[in-house]
Amino acid sequence: MAKDRSQREDYTAPLRRLLLGALLLCLLGIFLVWRIDSPRVERFRAQVTDKVVPSMEWAMVPVTATINLFRDFQSYQRLSEQNRELRSELRQMRAWKEAALQLEQENARLLDLNNVRLDPQLTYVTGVVMADSGSPFRQSVLLNVGLRDGIVDGWAAMDGIGLVGRISGVGQNTARVILLTDAASSIPATIQPSGQTALIAGDNSAAPVLDFLENRELVRPGDRVITSGDGGVFPAGLLIGQVAQDPSGRLRVRLSADYERLEFLRVIRHLGHEAIETPGDIVTTTPVDDGNAQVVEGEEAVDE
Amino acid sequence: MNNLSASRVWTMRLMYVGLALVILFFHLLPLDTLPSRWAPPDLLIAFTFAWSLRRTDFVPILLIAGVMLLADFMLQRPPGLLSALIVAGSAYLRNWSAGLSDASFLGEWASVGLVLVSIMVLNRVILGLTVVEQAPLWLVLIQLVLTIMVYPLVVFISQSVLGVRKLTPADVDILGGRS
Repeated sequence: MAKDRSQREDYTAPLRRLLLGALLLCLLGIFLVWRIDSPRVERFRAQVTDKVVPSMEWAMVPVTATINLFRDFQSYQRLSEQNRELRSELRQMRAWKEAALQLEQENARLLDLNNVRLDPQLTYVTGVVMADSGSPFRQSVLLNVGLRDGIVDGWAAMDGIGLVGRISGVGQNTARVILLTDAASSIPATIQPSGQTALIAGDNSAAPVLDFLENRELVRPGDRVITSGDGGVFPAGLLIGQVAQDPSGRLRVRLSADYERLEFLRVIRHLGHEAIETPGDIVTTTPVDDGNAQVVEGEEAVDE
Repeated sequence: MNNLSASRVWTMRLMYVGLALVILFFHLLPLDTLPSRWAPPDLLIAFTFAWSLRRTDFVPILLIAGVMLLADFMLQRPPGLLSALIVAGSAYLRNWSAGLSDASFLGEWASVGLVLVSIMVLNRVILGLTVVEQAPLWLVLIQLVLTIMVYPLVVFISQSVLGVRKLTPADVDILGGRS
């Protein structure tokens, strides 16, 4: 028996080894190609996801719903306790609501006084979360909107309240959102009221780290963190969260978006900042024509 | 005899692909979008190794490579690297089990654990050399330990539920006589 087997293996073994070697080379080749030309392979990955995940959706939706139903059921057991908590919260909220109404009126009055026009280009597409990254090491979700809906790489995704992440990888019908908590995510932000700029860098924990702060003394826990719009990727002024301090003294951001249940996300259409290219007609950097400049200055003086 | 027929082999190959898709499916369910403090065991690797130690003909190398590459793409891993390591690991395990026909389960468990550890170390070393961003070490370690711990259970399910058992010498005789 043993002889028989070894004889059979005699001619298949080298062939097998050859196949194995070729296969390993192929796979490592794919890895190297990914390392060298990441965007192309990532686009391929988006296409693969675009094919596979929507075909699973018919099963994913009911299974997710069932599991969530059971989870909700567990939380019903703590209902009376929650009720009490909610009631005390509601009392606090009433006070806040009063304050908010007053502020809203004041704000409307001030906007009216200043004749402020809010940015009309900030419209959004809403997508449903279909799947998550599938790995505990990466934080991302897959939305059911894609190229078909005009989604572009780099746009911001928010839930109703705060920023959730950035589009990275668009397929025909799907788009992947890298969450702020992912280790590969870093977003330029401004901290109010001090106006300090910083980077919000994810590190696979629930609260991303505040990095590259210029002056730490000016930032206190509880300060608001919003996007700064630096780098031209995101629109400025989207709410991210609040500054918080972890036990080791590092500043982190407690995210405003509800990361526990991401179901619907808004993808903010961002058509880029308008760049100011010319130095303007009045202030010239190079003295081109003295007479002309004098005339302009003269006109200004007349206007005043 | 039924255990060796071509239709049975192909059914089990399909079963392997189906199992992989089911595992991927549950990975992808958007249940927890908060970063978690622990990592579940990698059942796909455990099943692959358990099957390739029992019935190499159910999981041909090409099939493993295809399934693992799909998993790499779907689970946001660097494509190709982990699949290459798993294919190599499974080939090593095949050779190892061919060498000694009836090793105890403890020996098998130890060698699978060793292969899993070396896959993890090699993966991290290569990612480090190519300067790719890495997952946090403690998460990877948790996953590694859980995968090794869950391996006997995976073997039990494969043997009792899915019917993936080692060939007895009699089966090998039949197979040898037929081919």
